[in-house]
Amino acid sequence: MLKHTLMGAAAALALTAGMAGAENLRFAGATPALTMDPHATNDFTTTAIFRQVYDSLIGLSLDMELTPALATEWDYIGDNTWRFTIREGVQFHDGSALTAEDVAFSIMRQKDSRFYRSLFGGIQEARVVDATTVDVVSAGPDPILPRKMSRMFILSQAWAEANDVVDIPDLGAEGAEAHSIRNAMGTGPMRLLSHDPSVETRFEAFADYWDEMPGNVTTATYLNIGSGPTRVAALLSGEVDMVVDLPLQDIGRVEAAPGYTIAEAPQMLWMQLEMDGTRDQALETFDRAGNPLAENPFRDTRVRQAIAHTVDANLIADRVMRGKARVVGSASIPGFGGYQEDLDQRWETDLDRARELLAEAGYPDGFVTTMNCPLERYINTDDICRAVASMLARVGIDVRVNGMVWPEFARMLVNGPDSSFHLIGMGPDSRDTQDSFTGYVMTRNPDANEGFFNWALFSKPEIDELTRTLTVTFDEDEREGLYRDLLGRAREQVNAVYLHQPMIVWGMRGGVNAPIRSDATVTLQNVVVE
Amino acid sequence: MIALIAQRIAQAIVVLFVVSVLAFLLSTQIGDPVASILGLQATPEDRLELRAALGLDDPWPTRYLEFVTNVLRGELGVSYITQRPVSELIVERLPATFELAGVALLFSLGVGLPIGIYAAINRGRWSADAILSLSVIGVSVPTFVIAILLIFLFSVTLGWLPSFGRGQVVQVGWWTTGLLTPSGLKALIMPAAALAVSQVALVARLVRAEMIEVLRADYIRFARARGLKPRVIHLSLALRNTLIPVITVSGIQLGFLFAFAVVAEAVFQWPGIGLLFLQALGSTDVPIISAILLLTAAFFVAINTIVDLLYAVVDPRLRAGGLNGRPAGA
Repeated sequence: MLKHTLMGAAAALALTAGMAGAENLRFAGATPALTMDPHATNDFTTTAIFRQVYDSLIGLSLDMELTPALATEWDYIGDNTWRFTIREGVQFHDGSALTAEDVAFSIMRQKDSRFYRSLFGGIQEARVVDATTVDVVSAGPDPILPRKMSRMFILSQAWAEANDVVDIPDLGAEGAEAHSIRNAMGTGPMRLLSHDPSVETRFEAFADYWDEMPGNVTTATYLNIGSGPTRVAALLSGEVDMVVDLPLQDIGRVEAAPGYTIAEAPQMLWMQLEMDGTRDQALETFDRAGNPLAENPFRDTRVRQAIAHTVDANLIADRVMRGKARVVGSASIPGFGGYQEDLDQRWETDLDRARELLAEAGYPDGFVTTMNCPLERYINTDDICRAVASMLARVGIDVRVNGMVWPEFARMLVNGPDSSFHLIGMGPDSRDTQDSFTGYVMTRNPDANEGFFNWALFSKPEIDELTRTLTVTFDEDEREGLYRDLLGRAREQVNAVYLHQPMIVWGMRGGVNAPIRSDATVTLQNVVVE
Repeated sequence: MIALIAQRIAQAIVVLFVVSVLAFLLSTQIGDPVASILGLQATPEDRLELRAALGLDDPWPTRYLEFVTNVLRGELGVSYITQRPVSELIVERLPATFELAGVALLFSLGVGLPIGIYAAINRGRWSADAILSLSVIGVSVPTFVIAILLIFLFSVTLGWLPSFGRGQVVQVGWWTTGLLTPSGLKALIMPAAALAVSQVALVARLVRAEMIEVLRADYIRFARARGLKPRVIHLSLALRNTLIPVITVSGIQLGFLFAFAVVAEAVFQWPGIGLLFLQALGSTDVPIISAILLLTAAFFVAINTIVDLLYAVVDPRLRAGGLNGRPAGA
């Protein structure tokens, strides 16, 4: 008993000491943070790192809901214009005050970035109204602009001018390195101390941060360790406190190690199988004798439904993903604007029904096809593709898996798209269900900015019409009705066979408590180290 | 002699030219840099604009010519992904790889030489055969397996050595060195050892073969007849003559260690040229890929040329051999 009390007291003492003292956090990930210029990349890892230094105009809570950040309020005032009220008393890391001019400058800088065209390409003007008000005018109505603004990063105009980085550093330009690549001037919770992409990025807590800092981290270092086993070894040997890309096969080992804990959250991305909805003849698709099929089987909704009933997403999540995945049953996921929990029901796995549907569609013996499969970028795609192929074989659809390295796969899509059946990850940029439809489900028409990522050319005119209505509707109740209608239709027509959201998994040593967020950002201001 | 030097240098230039064409063609075949840079998001106009900005639309001979003229002017371009000058990145990474390869060479000589000498002196005994066979295991086990085993033993279980990185480095001019700090030295041990293991057997076998040859020579027999101690005969007379070919091979070996450091660098997150190359491959960063291929080729060609010329200095018969480089009458 006495021993317990003593230990408790010691722990409490250690805790208070930890709160008061300088705490350092060393965390490691698989990929390097490329640049500190927040407008010069949309890379997932890099964004999670520069988010420490740069605040977004609108913030994100730990469960990915919008929260006031540098903008305290936002209202639609008509004429395609959103009005943002800028927080007062915010300081940049050099001590200068944040102004409405800085906000307008940053918006105009980021909207011109090649990497943010799909999010901010519609913005025409950011107008300073008064010291605390900025109006943003878009080319057309944009009801989900606030959600997009959680990815609008604000930097100091004076600093950009002084260091010749008013324009985003241009690729292919000759000459010296732009100042913003390894230096930063934001208002974020951490100040950048140094950035060496090949080795480490170091931060220091910013004492004059405008928001609360619930954690106790005073300095932090992000290390890039590409090799999975080495990353895990560095965690288990105590060289790093935390690992943000824990390899799937090592999760058990870290959990079993005394004192170590893991945290997991579903990624803001889901895997799905996409099927050709437009071509008269599907590519690389044959009957059992090896002759090209007269019709494109994937264009028949019954065939799509049959595939949805055959591919068992639960089994893939359990086995291939070792339980580190959340099964998805609609074209939206929790944390997205417009997500409907009751509509998120995966198709039942029912092979008899699938065979019936195939027979009705005129393929009682099935057919032979090729599935293009990206080998990198997403987790365990190789195994997922092989599992899908063996499941489809049970209803007579013979699938040859065509594995491709990512650059090759990407080239096939952007220069074509030349695929009638493939696996891909879908992660609508703005994190609103509307974007699922405008980007991924609408009939592909890049010139009208519709269906830009609809690589399998799914096409249903009634869904296109409803989506167009949604993009100009501001009334919340009406929007809700449209979201439900669209999600129901997409699922019924099987725009794609939804599979799962892979989990982000972090491993931590005992005494480190970092709340996980679905965009994979370690919010350093919330981390407690003992 | 001058004709020979000119001939060797001309050969080196031809080899470099061929490699530069290959490196260039390869880098145009490994995927679409625009798709890698912009991801799937960008609009077709953005893609076309970037292609034009990067000069990807020009026919390849034009691009190659531009590439070569830039290289000759010392400009290696700007990395697509990190947006930093490639020459700067390479200069930053070069010391790490050189120190790794150099120390690995010392390790392989330090272990391989004694094994080779022992095996030569005790030829035919089972202990010599056993040690020699053991060293062959080093060649057969892949470097990354050895590396991971080392990490689990010395980092995770014993906690003696760091599992990744270079430790603390000291800047000496433009060169960063890990050889002057305790943490830098500790960080160097495992990567260098993992890299050296595959070379130990090579060194041992070479030393053994050369030494056996030398021990048969007349002057060794006379030395024995004079009653010199075996130790003196082996270590000061025989070894000295054994070392000449070993030193030559070591030069070439350094080139191999430099090029094959890739695996050790990837496992130990060693911030050298190999790791830079791997990262560039993964993101289709063409300027880095071409520059490193060219650099590695230049390194090999330089070493081979120097070795060839040194042979000529040492062996006058090679000089008389003229353009075909063979000894006269051979």
